[in-house]
Amino acid sequence: MWPAMCRNRSVEILKDRPDLVDQMNKFRIKIDNVLKIICRKHFQVDGTYMMSGVRLWFESGQDCYDFIIRQPEFDWEIKPELSVMNTVTSQLQTFNVVYTPTGVTID
Amino acid sequence: MKSAYITVIGSLPIRFDIEQARALGPVIASANSNKSMSFDYATVNTETNLQDMLNSPNFRSADLLVPEKLFKKYVFFDGVTCLPDFPGLKSYDIDPEKCSPQVLSLMLSVYLKQTIVFLLGYDISNPTELTRLKSIMIANPNTKFMYICDPPRTYQLDDLDNGFCDNYIKFQELIDGAR
Repeated sequence: MWPAMCRNRSVEILKDRPDLVDQMNKFRIKIDNVLKIICRKHFQVDGTYMMSGVRLWFESGQDCYDFIIRQPEFDWEIKPELSVMNTVTSQLQTFNVVYTPTGVTID
Repeated sequence: MKSAYITVIGSLPIRFDIEQARALGPVIASANSNKSMSFDYATVNTETNLQDMLNSPNFRSADLLVPEKLFKKYVFFDGVTCLPDFPGLKSYDIDPEKCSPQVLSLMLSVYLKQTIVFLLGYDISNPTELTRLKSIMIANPNTKFMYICDPPRTYQLDDLDNGFCDNYIKFQELIDGAR
């Protein structure tokens, strides 16, 4: 999710608020840098603008798990939703991520 | 180009070089009954077998297809994929979590819409398995099912227009011809 003050801003508002755009760009670069450290396989920070935050694509499930589980280190807020591309059906299947004291489970 | 052939390896251990069958098209394994070979897809519906397959080098390049409940548990494992929602599962009275993996492999083969399905090591000694195989064959009249077995041949599938039976020698000849 974007930093709280940048969330749910329309494109019109962002045009008048370069400070927010700057903050969002820095946020995106920071995510990219962190992913470069964490990920062992390819990843992508989605370039499409979303009002709630940034969508991340991982090639490896293990990288995705590492990113989720290491959130306390970065203090980011994650939307607890995970989509997986099914290689057989070519469909994107979406599941909820449930945080537990010992890790995460998928519902 | 999409292949017209697909090979399903059932629950019985087989003695055939599956690498050769891959020249014809994709090969689907049923759980870990033949884990010394490499496959394109493998279906599995028990956690014990899945764990065994995840640790078997021969399944490293295979897509391991599991029912949704098991998939949610292993979603972060590379190579584990959720089984598609096969049409007609309820009408066949098949529970993907309880049925045999070979039925799942068979359903996956028809889901992938190949025109000829080769069945190797497919166990039809159990009446339920035979009935399910026949039901799936009847529901897919445009797909030909070639049951490959050692002699003596079985006559169990002869009553169906799209069911055929042949031996491994003929199967080998077909592979050689396709190369």
